[in-house]
Amino acid sequence: MSMHWYVARRVAWAVVATYLILTITFGLLAVAPGDGQTAFAFEAATEGGDVDEARETFDEITGRDEPLLTRYTNYMVNMATLNWGWSFTRNQSVMDALAAAYPYSLMYAVPATFISIVFGYAIGLYSATHQYTLTDYLGTFTAFFGISVPNFWFGIMLILVFAVDLGWLPSYYQTGRGVWTLANAKQLVLPVVVLSTGAIAGNMRYSRAEALEYVHADFVKTARAKGADDWRVLVRHIFRPALVPLMTILVADILGLLFAGAYITEVVFQIPGLGLLSYKAIIQQDTALVMATTLVPVFIAIVGNLVQDIAYTVLDPRIDYGDR
Amino acid sequence: MAPDTQSDTGATERFEDVEWDELGGLGFPRRTQALVVATVAYAAAVAYDLFVTDDAVLSGTNWLFVLTLLVGAFFVAWPLAENRRLTAYYWRRFKRNRAAVVSAAYLVVVFVVGTLGPLVLTEPELNILAAYQPPVYLSVDSAVPTTCVGQTADGLCHGTWQYPLGTTSDGKGIAKLVVFGMRVSMQVGLVTMLIVVSIGTAVGTSAAYFSGLVDELLMRYVDIQQTFPTFFLFLIVTYLFKPSLFLLITIFGFLGWGGIARLVRSEALQRREESYIRAAENAGASDGWIIRRHLMPNVSNTVITAATLLIPSFILFEATFAFLGLTDPATPSWGQVIASGRGDLDGAWWIATIPGVFLFFTVLAFNFVGDALRDALDPRSEGDA
Repeated sequence: MSMHWYVARRVAWAVVATYLILTITFGLLAVAPGDGQTAFAFEAATEGGDVDEARETFDEITGRDEPLLTRYTNYMVNMATLNWGWSFTRNQSVMDALAAAYPYSLMYAVPATFISIVFGYAIGLYSATHQYTLTDYLGTFTAFFGISVPNFWFGIMLILVFAVDLGWLPSYYQTGRGVWTLANAKQLVLPVVVLSTGAIAGNMRYSRAEALEYVHADFVKTARAKGADDWRVLVRHIFRPALVPLMTILVADILGLLFAGAYITEVVFQIPGLGLLSYKAIIQQDTALVMATTLVPVFIAIVGNLVQDIAYTVLDPRIDYGDR
Repeated sequence: MAPDTQSDTGATERFEDVEWDELGGLGFPRRTQALVVATVAYAAAVAYDLFVTDDAVLSGTNWLFVLTLLVGAFFVAWPLAENRRLTAYYWRRFKRNRAAVVSAAYLVVVFVVGTLGPLVLTEPELNILAAYQPPVYLSVDSAVPTTCVGQTADGLCHGTWQYPLGTTSDGKGIAKLVVFGMRVSMQVGLVTMLIVVSIGTAVGTSAAYFSGLVDELLMRYVDIQQTFPTFFLFLIVTYLFKPSLFLLITIFGFLGWGGIARLVRSEALQRREESYIRAAENAGASDGWIIRRHLMPNVSNTVITAATLLIPSFILFEATFAFLGLTDPATPSWGQVIASGRGDLDGAWWIATIPGVFLFFTVLAFNFVGDALRDALDPRSEGDA
């Protein structure tokens, strides 16, 4: 199979997957008993409105009184045209709510990703080339700590030590402190640490295992015999072949880890990003917002997987396109 | 097993002369008999609970947990007890990793206390008068608890043995909450693992063995399933339906087996080419027989290792959702207690800290044991990490 054909097929598959997921979500929405109608009516009642009228209005807005097929078509068209509905708890369109929230998520997720890749790979490679040394054991221990510690509890413990006891850092995030200011940087330290700890551990384990496959490979021995220095051997002969499978793991796992982890981190530190937006929407029964905030990470995961698979074919000339 | 002894008694003994009854009979082995009895008893008990009595004897989660224990007893404990030499060999290899041995001991304690404790102890009760009591041997400014159960000295409230790990903001004993949390964690971890492993192994081996269209269909389905992150799927589902432990186990169990299926498939593809499978085929064994007797046992080591490493992730997921308040609030779980102590970090640090310590060490222990099992069970991993 040629590479172009493979890429085309892969893109088509991503489209199919997206379509399937939207359909499944629609199905869940259609059969679910509680999808926000009660909350909406309650909201209307507390504001002095009529409950039955509110229910009707809700049905009208969401189109629940129409036949299933029409609703399905409308839903799909709305999804495709990025008309994702109205958040009644925030009184703004879902798109606006998302647009307002995502910069806060990026503020700590980008540094955390960067740190976890650099540190994770560096420690992993070092461990692999210095197997069974004290540093290697220390690294392995760190990895076990990182994958085992519950994100939310780790966050709370850091708050307890660094905010409550020592008072060095603020215990939760406050908006209105600018972006590139010291105050903002200080309140992002703990979230970045929490999020990157788990990711560093994952990266480290994978890169160590991958690099170990090449540490004793013939071509590495040859390179050493020819007098290549340690750095050159590490970067040119071990890291390069190891990078290809690491790419695969990187995109999918990091995305998953960062998204699920970010959700928790935002709730713990009260950062008004996508995770907290979604969490509040769930608590307040704001269906449109719940759907949008949970679907965004799903779509990003699909695109991430796509990019990863294509990158894999570009990076590794040996790949067999017939294989999964 | 007996060619030597037979040659001792002379090679004249013929097939029809063998006293089969003396050798244990042609009937099923004891394990199979016991398994059949246990299955029937279990099915009868569940049917009784479902159809005969109105008040549930055990909840759905508890029934699944009993099933998991039965499966564990028949398919892990019994074969290990029968094959003493193999067990001793594995144990020798496992023992090399001292951290894993300590971890395993810790997990056994958590498992026993978590399974038996809730049967003996009463549920932790609300008691406003006993709120914010510090753990035993520790003390806290007596302004923190409204009334101090233990002694007050120099303006400090001391903990008592009545509440060895202190109490929460509504006076529930944390020690009891921890014990009840052990049960939840063990149930989520083990039951979900059983579902995932059963489906994953069945799908993986079938895909590898039948190949062709079956393989294509099954693995395409896995592709779809793997695309949808379970974390977010569960968020949507808890939002739309009433959250419960049973729902969590079902969602993660029935949608989380994709990874195991892929792993088993790739492993079984290699096994499938081995000559003993070909030999069985030529001897006329059926597909089901080959899958059950030749393919599955030979991928089981991979599966056991992967399963052990899956358990902690399920425990963490449950704790996370409990922390977010997206599980049944009536089920006391570690995540829930941590969440309840979040607002009291200033005065009562122990509420959020103690359950988290147990959670962290449980997850860590499973990771250690899984890692050691990989080294112990996989003959090909000799030498390297």
